[in-house]
Amino acid sequence: MRNRAEKLVESLFTISGFVTSIVIVLVVVFLFSGGVHLFRSPSIEHGYVVAVNADNPIDRLSPAELKSIFDYEQTNWQQFGGADEEILVFRLNDITNYFSEEDLGENFEFVSERISQLISENQGIIAFIPQEYAGENFSGKEIDGGTISLSEVFGGKEWLPTATPAPLFGLLPLITGTLWVSFFAILIALPFGLSVSIFMSEVASERVRGILKPVIELLSGIPSVVYGFFGLVVVVPLVQQIFNLDVGETGLTGSLILAIMALPTIITVSEDAMRNCPRAMREASLSLGANRWQTTYKVVIPYSISGITSGVVLGIGRAMGETMAVLMVTGNSAVIPHTILQPLRTIPATIAAELGEVSSGSPHYQALFVLGIILFVITFAINMCVASISAKHKNS
Amino acid sequence: MDDTIQYELKKNLTQKVAFGAVTLFSVAIVGILVVILSFIIIKGVGVINWEFLSTAPTDGMTKGGIFPAIVGTFYLILGSALFAFPVGIMSGIYMNEYAPKGFVLRFIRTMTNNLSGIPSIVFGLFGMAFFVKQLNFGTSIVAGSLTLGLLCLPLIIRTTEEALKAIPDSYREGSRALGATKLQTLFRVILPMGMPNIVTGLILSVGRVSGETAPILFTCAAFFLPQLPTGIFDQVMALPYHLYVIATSGGDLEAQRPIAYGTALVLIILVLLINLLATVVRRYFAKKLK
Amino acid sequence: MRTKILAVICTVALFAQAIMAQSIKGSDTALPLTQKAAEAYMKANKGAKITVTGGGSGVGITALLDGTTDIAMSSRKMKFDEKSKFQQGGKTVVEKVIAYDALAVIVNPANKVNQLTRQQLEDIYTGKVKNWKEVGGDDVAIVVYSRETSSGTYEFFKEQILKNKNYMSSVLSMPATGAIMQSVSQTKGAIGYVGLAYLNSSVKALKVSYDGKNFVAPSVENAQNKTYPIVRPLFFYFEKKSEAKVSPFITFMLSPEGQKIVKQEGYIPLQ
Repeated sequence: MRNRAEKLVESLFTISGFVTSIVIVLVVVFLFSGGVHLFRSPSIEHGYVVAVNADNPIDRLSPAELKSIFDYEQTNWQQFGGADEEILVFRLNDITNYFSEEDLGENFEFVSERISQLISENQGIIAFIPQEYAGENFSGKEIDGGTISLSEVFGGKEWLPTATPAPLFGLLPLITGTLWVSFFAILIALPFGLSVSIFMSEVASERVRGILKPVIELLSGIPSVVYGFFGLVVVVPLVQQIFNLDVGETGLTGSLILAIMALPTIITVSEDAMRNCPRAMREASLSLGANRWQTTYKVVIPYSISGITSGVVLGIGRAMGETMAVLMVTGNSAVIPHTILQPLRTIPATIAAELGEVSSGSPHYQALFVLGIILFVITFAINMCVASISAKHKNS
Repeated sequence: MDDTIQYELKKNLTQKVAFGAVTLFSVAIVGILVVILSFIIIKGVGVINWEFLSTAPTDGMTKGGIFPAIVGTFYLILGSALFAFPVGIMSGIYMNEYAPKGFVLRFIRTMTNNLSGIPSIVFGLFGMAFFVKQLNFGTSIVAGSLTLGLLCLPLIIRTTEEALKAIPDSYREGSRALGATKLQTLFRVILPMGMPNIVTGLILSVGRVSGETAPILFTCAAFFLPQLPTGIFDQVMALPYHLYVIATSGGDLEAQRPIAYGTALVLIILVLLINLLATVVRRYFAKKLK
Repeated sequence: MRTKILAVICTVALFAQAIMAQSIKGSDTALPLTQKAAEAYMKANKGAKITVTGGGSGVGITALLDGTTDIAMSSRKMKFDEKSKFQQGGKTVVEKVIAYDALAVIVNPANKVNQLTRQQLEDIYTGKVKNWKEVGGDDVAIVVYSRETSSGTYEFFKEQILKNKNYMSSVLSMPATGAIMQSVSQTKGAIGYVGLAYLNSSVKALKVSYDGKNFVAPSVENAQNKTYPIVRPLFFYFEKKSEAKVSPFITFMLSPEGQKIVKQEGYIPLQ
């Protein structure tokens, strides 16, 4: 009896032991199942068609080309290899410009006929209309928008997830935005992080260290939304004044906040590594006449460099994944940043801001899951990196 | 001779400058914390009173208190603890006491580290896809608690494992030699000894749970609820989300600012208390063991 | 023991369902209004319970589709793919306009500009005009604020003002209306748009003209007499089969009493 109970408890332990692995697998499965269909969904919004005159030689248009047409940036079919003909953009709402209400019928029963008529009469027309109006006897030619392609997503410079007729999911601005903010955050945090860990492991007395330790713990304990709030009301106006900018919500504001948030990680890990430097090595250095500073940077730092690197890498991971604080202070404008003093937009902030209102299962929803996958892969890689650094260190 | 003296002088000067610099940076860190804390305390302390803590928001979030948010955060802590505490501790026990050393242990440890590195927004995304949609919990306390539970799992596992690792094998061997089974040894000897550090880890994980916003955005958080949640499938208000909402949206930001400061202060106090509690627990048990 | 716990959980859950007589979910724009109306309705009808939560128009409609809410509030018309999902699920949806909301274009109070035409607004939001001096203001760069891409307000502004063209990518997107108010009141060259109900003295609302001649200030009166152009309907969506359950509250909402609350809250009544 007792034996069986013991077996049961032990198997419970075993199952629990693998819980993190199971969770990781689940995360992977559900992120991918949420995002995988993005590259199979048609570019043109579901339930709509883009149609041109039957004589128009153009058969396919990419989302970017469609956008330029419907934004009136390109106005001639020649640009796309067609005839020298003005492009006439037509959306369903424009129909009242062409027909009276009588023409359309009391219950709009003639709409589809009228659209068909309009398309056949205008050589240069391009129409964006609901599918139901492009049924039988439709005179126009449907444009093939193709499916959303990998290169458009990963090489695209525009994030316009709600653009019609075809949304643009260019990830470049978001990826570069994330990288910029994290890079500058680490640049700011590095001197602080290294100094504090050197101070704590080499300079400070046990008592001073006893004060600093809880300070660091508190810094890491403050919720990110509180940092964001502090950033919003204090750092944003401050950055705007100091750099005399048009806006205070910039990448730098985000980097400053992120630097503070990444500091505890960097400090804890690298201080740990420095304190692990064997006493014998320090003493050998000191007895050779080196002073404490020389010992620190010639012996302790080289000895603990792998630990320090791990700390910095983990700090980068923390900065890249941070959501709320960044969402509140960086201005979220989806452009590829040229300076850190302009507003930008990160991957986590995009997910947090947009997921709430997208319709579930739409390409936009899937694109947000693709963003989640990217974040997951980056942090996974970072952790593997750290693991291999510390493994190497143990071997040598 | 002169050269040597000069060298010594220079050497000591460099040390002074270098150590001076690192000290300065360290003071600056303390300064940053003091600035953030005192800013929020000064702005928020006037707002906090019994009414603020015990009533619901009224007049479109511009008046009233944050009671539902406090209760909501408490529910979420409770819910995630119910899930994560036992699972986390058992997982830690497995890793230190049962798992075969070598590949399996390395694998589990790597996975745990990976889980702790996943950004909180990805947990939110996963929570929405898995708990809210797949398991059909809806945006609810269960979905939010489980998501938060997963988030703090690695912390609990790691502290449990470390706590058990610190106990010398001689205790295990002694207990086994007296005829106790492995499980008896675990419950009578090992766990009581590791308890202080395990409990500290648990408390810190509560701190983590109470401050997270991104994981609950899509899994349970509500902007405003007229009454407290009545079941585990209801949405809840929560402190961090409440702060986010009143800091960025709502009708009248000027009127909401004091409430935002108050909420931020309550959150900070919560974190301070939790950290303090962790320290006290650690010290208390340490003394008792001696 | 375990079954006991399970039983407790089940009863709690059932209890919750029974109390939650009605739930309304969706658009943050319509949220304050619906919340007030629900409070008044519950005061008048003892025993009625209405839970109102926000989350956004899309969230509300998805919840209606999943059957987790009785009424979805929306600040935009239901999209085609959303409608087709209801059709696939064999559900008929009823649409009711409960009030109108006017969008006000706001700038920093220190800005000299008092009025803009629709064309000028379009040029500003598509990036053709980048400095206030081009539209009669000081030599200050224009900082353009907008709502998040998926909000109903964003879509409406795009349809009405930009004539369906895309916003330039460098607009600053704010997660909520409050954040736009905050930023515009702090930033000298800022321009943004918010619901009429949100206006206060920290920002300046611009007069807007579609024809280039008559500039009209945003106000409830001007929106009601149709002289102010940027007005949109707010919708309630519900399933046909739950009509009996939800219609008392909707009737209240559309009654003179309900419409009085609409006006008090800074929205535009139906009549």
